[in-house]
Amino acid sequence: MSRPQNESSGPRLIFEAADVAVHFGGVKAVDGLTFGLPEGKIIGILGPNGSGKSTLVGAITRHVPLTRGTLKFLGEDYASDHPHLVPHRGIARTFQTVRLLEERTVLENVLLGTDSLAAGGRTARKLAQERAEQAMVRTGCDHLAKVRPDELSYGNRRRVEIARAIAMEPKLLLLDEPTAGMGRAEKEEISALMSSLRAEGLTQLIVEHDVQMMVDTCDSLLAMNFGKLIVEGDPREVVRNPEVQAAYLGKQAMKHA
Amino acid sequence: MIAWYTSNAVVVQATMTTLLLALSIQLPLRMGVFSFAGVGCFGIGGYTAAILYTKFDVGTWPAVVLGTLLAGILCYLLGLVIHRLSGLYLGMATVAFTLIVAVVATNGGSLTGGASGIFGALGGINNLHVFLLLALVIAGLAISEYGRFGRKIDSVREDPELAAALGINVSRHRKLVFLASGLIGGLAGAVTTLLRSTITPAEINFHMVVMALTVIIIGGSSSWLGALIGAVIITWLPTLLSFVAEWESIIYGFIVALAAVFLPSGVLGLAKGLIHRWRSRRRSTPPAPPSSNVEKASDDEPSSPEPEHSLASTQGGTL
Repeated sequence: MSRPQNESSGPRLIFEAADVAVHFGGVKAVDGLTFGLPEGKIIGILGPNGSGKSTLVGAITRHVPLTRGTLKFLGEDYASDHPHLVPHRGIARTFQTVRLLEERTVLENVLLGTDSLAAGGRTARKLAQERAEQAMVRTGCDHLAKVRPDELSYGNRRRVEIARAIAMEPKLLLLDEPTAGMGRAEKEEISALMSSLRAEGLTQLIVEHDVQMMVDTCDSLLAMNFGKLIVEGDPREVVRNPEVQAAYLGKQAMKHA
Repeated sequence: MIAWYTSNAVVVQATMTTLLLALSIQLPLRMGVFSFAGVGCFGIGGYTAAILYTKFDVGTWPAVVLGTLLAGILCYLLGLVIHRLSGLYLGMATVAFTLIVAVVATNGGSLTGGASGIFGALGGINNLHVFLLLALVIAGLAISEYGRFGRKIDSVREDPELAAALGINVSRHRKLVFLASGLIGGLAGAVTTLLRSTITPAEINFHMVVMALTVIIIGGSSSWLGALIGAVIITWLPTLLSFVAEWESIIYGFIVALAAVFLPSGVLGLAKGLIHRWRSRRRSTPPAPPSSNVEKASDDEPSSPEPEHSLASTQGGTL
């Protein structure tokens, strides 16, 4: 397991986790993770169901209380922050199961992302509106502005959620299975969107099961199993790692591979 | 119109005061806070105003303001203690608060008039005053239903974890709603008492909680308009049903039960649902604009994710 390096070459680390653990009673969902996220990169977390990926995302956003460890964002320790302060630092997230207000239109759901981050006043509100509209154009849900989420397909609901997170103008974006339930063409669109956000300097951490997409989109991968980090590095190397393959496919499949 | 008003002034008045009380319960419900403390605050506001007015020679409006403020402050303090409770437990704690107010009023000796309450507190308030105060409260509530304020409140109710992930301070919202609810409840109590000249501990009771809740269930909990609809129905129904004489209560109960079963989001919710359905039908019938084509296309995509499965299938090629 490699430690975050502060002084070495390459982009600086925007986020650092040191010895992060989340235990639920006897279950060690996340157990002593240490890693860093280089600024402006897309980092993927790979791991079978129940390996602790979503718990880790929850820990980063402070929704899941830490058992131990430290979290640093832009050099500041925020492990004791209340969850609602985390977005104000510049961390936005999407959820594994899409969470939208069903009674509000798509536009209003996206605007919700700007509501507590933007200042009051007419100009700020106008700016927030523009930001929300732009986010909807980028995720391809601008034509659905007036529709309510309960009329949308699963893929479009995901787009709305991503648009809401983008409208928050974060410095770090956490995407928990952003393309689950999408077809190949839609997945490619999301992948292209992530790449264009990276070109703007946005750091992204993505949890995803589609290995092909992860390899195509991410700059590096972290592979987890049983709450621990088993390997990290170049996506192609990580997916070829025997330990990763064993964790994913099981020993039986390994014999056939 | 004027003739109608003069013969119905009392019912109009009752509608307005019932609405004020219902609003004090509806506001916390809109934020997902199951609090009935508004009824206790009705008692605090009513008793404070009556005591100040009859025993300390305080004028009508200062008495109303002080009653309202005291109720707001006490409700806020209650909120600080119990805002972390949820659902039924919070509901029970606030009902207990209301009953405590009644017990204190009953045992307050000469100050509160004991079980027979306070009489002769007829302040200088008329229906126009109540109407203006009500309009002021409704204006404030209407603002809280629209724009970003409304969206934030909806998210705090529907999904507190999501709200926090969007930077919304959920616990501050929950605490402040106790203050607002207490102020509205206190105002309702103070105004009602000085209007009717009397308040007794028997009023501040569980039946008042039920009445306020019934108004909201029948009308709809999502907006002040729902409470208005509910208040009109609840106050006018007994008048309209008077011809059935002793069967009135049974028929009344029957209507409330039917509303609870068949109109889960109240009359307002029913109306909104119909409007929404009509609008989306209108949107989908005309020659399909390009936007609806896109939507249709994506509808054909697989809609239920099977992560484990798709992983195995995509992995074969990459690993």
